[in-house]
Amino acid sequence: MAVSDTLRTRWFWYSISCVIIWAPFFIASKLGAREIPAPTMQFLFTIGSLPIMVVLLLVTKCKLEKDVKGITYGTGAGILAGLGTVGLFAAYGTGESTSVVTAVTSLYPMVTVVLAVLILRERLTWLQVTGLAFAAAALVLFSL
Amino acid sequence: MHIAAWFLFTMVVLGFWGACGIVQKLSTNRISAWSSMIWLVVGYALLLPWLWPGKILFHYSTHNIVWGLLAGFLSTLGSCGLYAALKCGGKASIVIPISAMYPLVVVILAPLLLHESITLVQGCGVGCALIAVALLST
Repeated sequence: MAVSDTLRTRWFWYSISCVIIWAPFFIASKLGAREIPAPTMQFLFTIGSLPIMVVLLLVTKCKLEKDVKGITYGTGAGILAGLGTVGLFAAYGTGESTSVVTAVTSLYPMVTVVLAVLILRERLTWLQVTGLAFAAAALVLFSL
Repeated sequence: MHIAAWFLFTMVVLGFWGACGIVQKLSTNRISAWSSMIWLVVGYALLLPWLWPGKILFHYSTHNIVWGLLAGFLSTLGSCGLYAALKCGGKASIVIPISAMYPLVVVILAPLLLHESITLVQGCGVGCALIAVALLST
């Protein structure tokens, strides 16, 4: 697909919106975590996410699938993400550079990829193996 | 060997967010992306009883409370953008690496907005991390 065609697609602009929205999320997290302890930041974070859930319930007209496993996994993902975000706020609260903390935490796909191999028996592509090597190099550099 | 507190906290983030990626995938294999998002927020809410700070919450400055609320709103809104991109026909192999480029924007914005600086070694680490994220997201 030509670049001009890509620029006309909705999916491309939704993808860009993620980047544009998530970057201020990290800046806001850092600003809040300078004064507020990590668990309280996560409390506020959850309250802040509730309006989006309400909009999603309205969009879906509250018609949610009743697959128990799907719901359990979805809720479990929220618990894991929430606990991880407490760690993010705690890291920002130490006063370490926002760029460094954000760069290290952005490496979480490394864990997902490894777990996908171990649990879901997925195969790694050579690009992902190269990515793991760069992730390891980044972690070594940050730990110096 | 001394390991800085911030580094240990980021390892906690990697562990939980990394595991979350797997569980989220298992969830979206069974229910729609929007439903999965709703249950994700329900999961956040289940932690609230342990996170409730008590009356001390009202002693924090209003602007910092707003930053905390805004963080939750923006994070969840960004996730909606990702799901919307996939729902509109974007290939996961393209959409996810694009969306994973948020640290690049943070690295550009942080020195400008927060007046922070990083060392040369940390700069090399950020570079490696950005390449790693792009490759791992393929």
